[in-house]
Amino acid sequence: MENNEEPEQDDEFEDEETSREIVAPGEVLTEDVHNFIPGRGAILNKKGDKIISVIIGLKQIKKNYINVIPLRGFYTPQIGDKVIGIITDKNPVKYKCDINAKYEGILKIKNTVKHNKMRIRGNQREEETLEKLYVGDAIIGKIIAADRLNSPEITLVGKYLGRKSGGIIIQIDPPKVPRIIGRNGSMIKMLKNLTNCNIFVAQNGRIWIKGINIEHERLLIEAIYKIEEEAHTTGLTDRMEEFIKNETKRRGME
Amino acid sequence: MTLLIQDEYPKKLLRDDGKRLDGRGKTDLRPIKMEVDVIKNADGSAYIEWGNNKIYASVYGPREVHPHHLAKPDRGILRVFYRMATFSVFERKRPAPGRREKEISMVISECLEPVLFLELYPGTSFEIFIEVVDADGGTRCASTTVAALALADAGIPMRSLVTSCAVGKIEGQLITDLSGIEDKAGESDMPCAISWFNDEISLLQFDGKMNRAELDESLNMVRNAMEKIYEMQLDTLKQKYIQIQEQNEG
Repeated sequence: MENNEEPEQDDEFEDEETSREIVAPGEVLTEDVHNFIPGRGAILNKKGDKIISVIIGLKQIKKNYINVIPLRGFYTPQIGDKVIGIITDKNPVKYKCDINAKYEGILKIKNTVKHNKMRIRGNQREEETLEKLYVGDAIIGKIIAADRLNSPEITLVGKYLGRKSGGIIIQIDPPKVPRIIGRNGSMIKMLKNLTNCNIFVAQNGRIWIKGINIEHERLLIEAIYKIEEEAHTTGLTDRMEEFIKNETKRRGME
Repeated sequence: MTLLIQDEYPKKLLRDDGKRLDGRGKTDLRPIKMEVDVIKNADGSAYIEWGNNKIYASVYGPREVHPHHLAKPDRGILRVFYRMATFSVFERKRPAPGRREKEISMVISECLEPVLFLELYPGTSFEIFIEVVDADGGTRCASTTVAALALADAGIPMRSLVTSCAVGKIEGQLITDLSGIEDKAGESDMPCAISWFNDEISLLQFDGKMNRAELDESLNMVRNAMEKIYEMQLDTLKQKYIQIQEQNEG
């Protein structure tokens, strides 16, 4: 039921254009500024004769763009992202929730229920909806408005969205999220099949897990942290499959 | 056991064979050891051992500013907290932040600001906490170096790293990387930092006497020293990931 319906997502770490070369901030990526354009994570230097990296990451040449795939960093909200948040505050007008970004996300009452399902009974409307969520609840939301200056706005109306009860939420580095999903969802499908767990990976680096028992959940969490640590290596999906199979056998949880 | 309290500095800072008291040549650096990702709860962290200096730096951000009135609507701010442990120096240091610590915090913050893209994060703050556990001359240089390393480790976009080193004069001779005694008893001391983006000098403080020709020469000397340290910084940053690659790919 809890599927990540995002199979089109590319795994930028697994791309053929991505090299294994690690670059640090300020390092020269190329001096050929006529044939290459600085893309993500790269800028021209002040004289305009070199393209340099601005973050620590993997060098990638895509057509005539030079990009740097980050290995560490923070989450910047973008419209359409699915995020896992935790309600930190509520008042009659809106909820506030921690979404692991630099600003707190805002969840308005009108975005918590479907429009045609809102029941209005005199003054009871707000109270009824406010009863739905409490401080400390975990939610899966979608970002509907975000920019550099204002707090992002979240909605709970949509497929797979809403309050989550049960399960475990873990946190990884947001830049490693594409690696957990894998190319065309290959990694996440493998994890689901081998551990019999439901997984929801949110763009802000939080992962919701619910398995049939604690042993399977524990194994999955270990596997996810291993993927996070080795995200910049090649052949990770095969190695993870081997790791999980070996561990299941060793722990005797067929 | 008698407790030796050194009140006076040695009269000669150079040995008869022309070397310094700790056996270094005039342009030699003290042994440097760096490490990144040492504090788990921080977004980025680094540790440096530079001679007898032992310094930790941790970076948090971008996050909301507290107190809120310090926030700027058009750009982010960088706050540096340089603190010395009470046991880091010979006589117990009072734990409250003093004039010197506030000055060094400000100097380091102004030195690192030009390499960050603060205009992209309005209303937020980046915070660097520098904790000097052991001090022996040149802590502001070591702190700047380690703070830049921690920023890069946190994945914060930077134009380049920043490297810092000191030059000075003892007994009429120019030397690089002054130790504690040379700093106090020597003739002059000049901490210097460079941001490698367009080779700009980012920090330059001066204390003592030096003529114009000596100043030019000392800037050349410090540049050579900083190039060596820059190589170490890059190596430390990458080594963390290269090790994992080598382990798993064979």
